[in-house]
Amino acid sequence: MAEIRPDEVSAILRKQLAGFDSEVDVYEVGTVLQVGDGIARVYGLTNVMASELVEFPNNVTGMVLNLEEDSVGCVLFGESTLIKEGDTVKRTNRVASFPVGDKLLGRVVNPLGEPLDGKGTIQFEKYMPIERKALGVIQRQPVKEPLQTGITAIDAMIPIGRGQRELIIGDRQTGKTAIAIDAIINQKFTHTEEAKKYGIKPVYCVYVAIGQKNSTVAQVVAKLEEQGAMEYTTVVSAPASSPAPLQYIAPYSGATLGEFFRDSGRHALVVYDDLSKQAAAYRELSLLLRRPPGREAYPGDVFYLHSRLLERASKLSEDLGGGSLTALPIIETQQGDVSAYIPTNVISITDGQIYLEPNLFNAGVRPAINVGISVSRVGGNAQIKAMKKVAGSLKLDLAQYRELEAFAKFGSDLDKATLRTLAKGARLVELLKQGQYKPVPVEKQVVSVYLGTNNYFDSVDVKEVKRFEKEIHEFIELKYPEIFANIRSAKELKEDTVTLLKKAAEEFIEKFKKS
Amino acid sequence: MSVYRISYRYANSLFQLALEKNALKKFADDAELIHNTLVGSKELRSVLRNPVIKLKVKKDLLESLFKDRIGSDLSGFLNFIVEKNREEILTEIMYEFLNLRDRKEGIVRAKVYSADSLTDELKKELEGRLEKQTNKKVFPEYAVDQKLIGGFVVQINDTVMDASVKHQLELLRKKFSEDISVSKN
Repeated sequence: MAEIRPDEVSAILRKQLAGFDSEVDVYEVGTVLQVGDGIARVYGLTNVMASELVEFPNNVTGMVLNLEEDSVGCVLFGESTLIKEGDTVKRTNRVASFPVGDKLLGRVVNPLGEPLDGKGTIQFEKYMPIERKALGVIQRQPVKEPLQTGITAIDAMIPIGRGQRELIIGDRQTGKTAIAIDAIINQKFTHTEEAKKYGIKPVYCVYVAIGQKNSTVAQVVAKLEEQGAMEYTTVVSAPASSPAPLQYIAPYSGATLGEFFRDSGRHALVVYDDLSKQAAAYRELSLLLRRPPGREAYPGDVFYLHSRLLERASKLSEDLGGGSLTALPIIETQQGDVSAYIPTNVISITDGQIYLEPNLFNAGVRPAINVGISVSRVGGNAQIKAMKKVAGSLKLDLAQYRELEAFAKFGSDLDKATLRTLAKGARLVELLKQGQYKPVPVEKQVVSVYLGTNNYFDSVDVKEVKRFEKEIHEFIELKYPEIFANIRSAKELKEDTVTLLKKAAEEFIEKFKKS
Repeated sequence: MSVYRISYRYANSLFQLALEKNALKKFADDAELIHNTLVGSKELRSVLRNPVIKLKVKKDLLESLFKDRIGSDLSGFLNFIVEKNREEILTEIMYEFLNLRDRKEGIVRAKVYSADSLTDELKKELEGRLEKQTNKKVFPEYAVDQKLIGGFVVQINDTVMDASVKHQLELLRKKFSEDISVSKN
């Protein structure tokens, strides 16, 4: 039987002990006055800082939130039943921070950076405070590179740029998370050699799950793993079963990790899923800390809670490496009420929003994006030229379609022009439908939108639109691969490419009619 | 308003009076006596805290307790406190007063726990060291705590200087429980 020699063991132990010195340890302490509901009031700790981590007995950590005249209010990251009145609390001299490093990619961690996936300890580079001040004007530059989500409707009409904050808002079960996950999966392309050739830099992703079921998080992780997306993704999870303080700090932890990538000149995408639950967690602990409640019982600083988080999304200037941090916050509305407190707040903070509607979802329009009221205020600058060119008329056509949609039921009583608009609109809506986990590369999106807006689908039955699209993509790939290659490398729709595309489309339509 | 703020206000006015009358020593001795009595007797504290007992009874009780032992200023102060219905925080007021005195005189109180009782020589050396470090007069209070195994622990206000074997062992345990691969050494 193989065995490790005892002297080998003692050598390792000795090595461990080598850095251990036995000097007098000086630390500061306080006493627990009151504990309960995840909150502890502590007497003492005179020099403690706001949001500093403190150590309670039984390995429970806490964070200082309230500094008062004669006591300190702490929130607990562990079980409050493990702590008694009169227990000693120790300062750590460290504000709440998150371990960052490349080794975090592919892992699932809690908001304190402790692994949750059972894959062992994580070797991190350094601790970064979870609350950091957002960058100023000088350090930034306008958003200019696209962040492709792989969803045609979004990339064409509500484009997202690297460094933007785009809100995904909608009722429960409308596919909010699906959009975010698709966006993460679509970043796989940016990590390939091919993307490098076209000058597309890789995007590292952070998925922050706040107040979700553990089973949902596991499902998301499994899906990301299956699609090979976990290699460049970190999941920060504060499930519904975790204490409110952890749910409250989770998005800040995620933002810190995103900033680590951004500050090293790379690109990061952080998904906050979802901020309504975080606001509810913050409300819980604010009320327990006896801060005065305001509208909907949220504390007065709930706007600042989200604005300071989302302000951290940024595109760095070239002097600072040109990295970016894109934020995709998610908000769940109740019965489509976007005028509730938290939705209005986050809508006003972000650079645009993607509205998802249950009606559309149930009518089979998936992703259920209401393109009429969804906007992106800065992403247009980041779109590739080819897409910008074709998407303009798409928006117009859809707007006209929506205007006339109500008349659709009159059928044959309508004049020809109206009928044509309705037919085209119906085909475009069909074209923008897309399956989950099926991101489409931008060159194919451009071709589809071009064909749609230039009436190439008119002769196709509405039900056949998706099949037509799929087959023409295959046809072009086989017979005219230079179309895709040209769009991808030139990033614009040149005259000769258009001619070629027209030729290919006509040729295919002939073939399609026969089949 | 918080107990701290109220007791500070009363204590501070008493303190100012003591300075005015130039009798801080006498005041402090009396306050210490009252404070120690209150801390020592749970019954007395619960009588003072009980709202059912009439003010007159409380006044008489305090008077008969402290009459011959404290000066007229302090007994007047006690009457005043009872009249103002603040007798339940009398302990805190006295504590704050003594704190104010300590701050004025540059005194810090240290609690020293050791595994074995210290010899006078050691005590003297420790006091000297502490005074040098804090730049203040140190009034230590010694206690034996066998759980420390060896060494000693000094606590001054919130700061703890821990040189006990127990704490060292705890640190060692923590170090070993960390993953070897992540330790910095």
